[in-house]
Amino acid sequence: MASPVTDIREISGSDLISALHLAQRAPAILGQESGSAAISSKSSDTADYYARLEQLMLVCLRTGDDQSAQTCLNRLSLRFGPSNERIMGLRGLYEEATAKDEPALEKCLQEYDNTLSQSPVNVPILKRRVALLRSLNRPSDAISGLIQLVDAIPTDAEAWCELADLYQSQGLGSQAIFSLEEALLIAPNSWNIHSRLGELLYTCASDGDACRLLGRSVQHFSRSIELCDDYLRGLYGLILASTRILDNDYAGVSGQLSKKTLEQLKAFALLKLGEIVESRSVDDQHWASSRSELIAAKELLNRQ
Amino acid sequence: MAIQGDEQTILRDPALFYWILFPISIVMILTGILRHYATVLMNSTPKSPSTLAESRERLALLRGVNLRNNACSVLDRESFEMRKNYMVSGFRSGAFLKDPNNRGKPPANPMTDPAGMEAMMGMLKGNMMMMIPQTLIMSWINAFFSGFVILKLPFPLTIRFKSMLQSGVMTRDLDVQWVSSLSWYFLNLMGLQSVFGFILGSDNSASQMAQQMGMANPAAMMNPLQPGQDPDKLYLNEAENLEVMEHFCILDGVEERILQNFAPAGI
Repeated sequence: MASPVTDIREISGSDLISALHLAQRAPAILGQESGSAAISSKSSDTADYYARLEQLMLVCLRTGDDQSAQTCLNRLSLRFGPSNERIMGLRGLYEEATAKDEPALEKCLQEYDNTLSQSPVNVPILKRRVALLRSLNRPSDAISGLIQLVDAIPTDAEAWCELADLYQSQGLGSQAIFSLEEALLIAPNSWNIHSRLGELLYTCASDGDACRLLGRSVQHFSRSIELCDDYLRGLYGLILASTRILDNDYAGVSGQLSKKTLEQLKAFALLKLGEIVESRSVDDQHWASSRSELIAAKELLNRQ
Repeated sequence: MAIQGDEQTILRDPALFYWILFPISIVMILTGILRHYATVLMNSTPKSPSTLAESRERLALLRGVNLRNNACSVLDRESFEMRKNYMVSGFRSGAFLKDPNNRGKPPANPMTDPAGMEAMMGMLKGNMMMMIPQTLIMSWINAFFSGFVILKLPFPLTIRFKSMLQSGVMTRDLDVQWVSSLSWYFLNLMGLQSVFGFILGSDNSASQMAQQMGMANPAAMMNPLQPGQDPDKLYLNEAENLEVMEHFCILDGVEERILQNFAPAGI
């Protein structure tokens, strides 16, 4: 039981290839565990085990192994009961994923609305509803749904991030920045959100306010590097943002960094990025999940 | 007075050992385990909010606290002032309250409010779970075993420990090393925590709960408000805290900091 289970944790979920590898083993994992669960049902009855089962279900759904996903879901709902909020959310996710056409998705939406009219603070279902609206290509409905959600639960960083993403997809830059700042207020040390905010500021800096926004962008990228000193995305963004400031001659304008500091910063980021690219290219397998980032970084280094 | 350096000897019936020391210890361990399972059985999960407005009433306070604690690592002056003004005016006007019209009225009596009643019952049950077995066992020991000296500690102690180790035995001259039955009960009461940890697994009364909660949404379940507390008062308090806040930002000068801390000297 130990070997496949530990593997689940090692593989990062965002990578499609490893997700596929994992999902291919799902029937084996599930079969094996049902065998051993019969012997020692008490020892496997931990929160950890069920969290893994949930992960496995998501991976199976992504790779099209609906049958294994169904097995996972059944096991979870057997333990926690079908009326558990999170199980309801997972079941909704399963229905959505296996829906054949648009009307089937509409039916899911109807079901969510029904559930919500009975228990308005069912957070997983609220979130599923927003995600479904988004995949049905109704972003403005999704945004209004999310605004309702964050109004009621303003301490949910995930929801704020999603809202920022939705706003950005609609071209509403300043709203997106506001949402990401709210998310950061909840999790002030998450370097990925810092660098995401930097990216957002960078992309929004086209109009008259560009100078100030770029300055803030550099600050957030720097902060993300300060928190995680080999964060590739942060370094990449730092190079882009500082290059743009230098190119447009914003350096030294009121309250901004001096040109010298910016040049130093850029040189430092380039150096560091070069080191990272070099070391990660050697250890290729381990960094398989971020291969695309690595390629982009290499390309940037060649350009400079 | 006991003569210093002279070993006191008391002839004890060895049966004292088997009929008092062991029973007390075993009973204490068993009640501890029993209490653990009783707590697990009777624990009611904290009630999740039933409407969106109720959820907002609970979490708005946390949002204010978050802003106060984390603003310095995220926001620049402009967006901080904007948020501060928004939160303060919201807190002041009662916009975050579940029922803004009820503002200023005295809070409902917790005895008649069903939600408050439930929370009070929860606390009561928890306290009862501690009190009742303790009272019973203590009176049991007092009735059957009071006045026995059952144990001699193998090391000397100062006179201060006398009241701790010899409760129930009123002899002035008895050496501090001797332990009475009632004191043995107290020692067990205080000192068995690690034994329970060994038997029931570490954080014992909480372990089962954590698992149940694992499936729910922790962010939405949090409730900073105690039952019977008036959220409006807490809001006004928080508004005051926010108002006196001075803005500073650790993002100022982060670039130089990075260059100083991470960059090699040559750059």
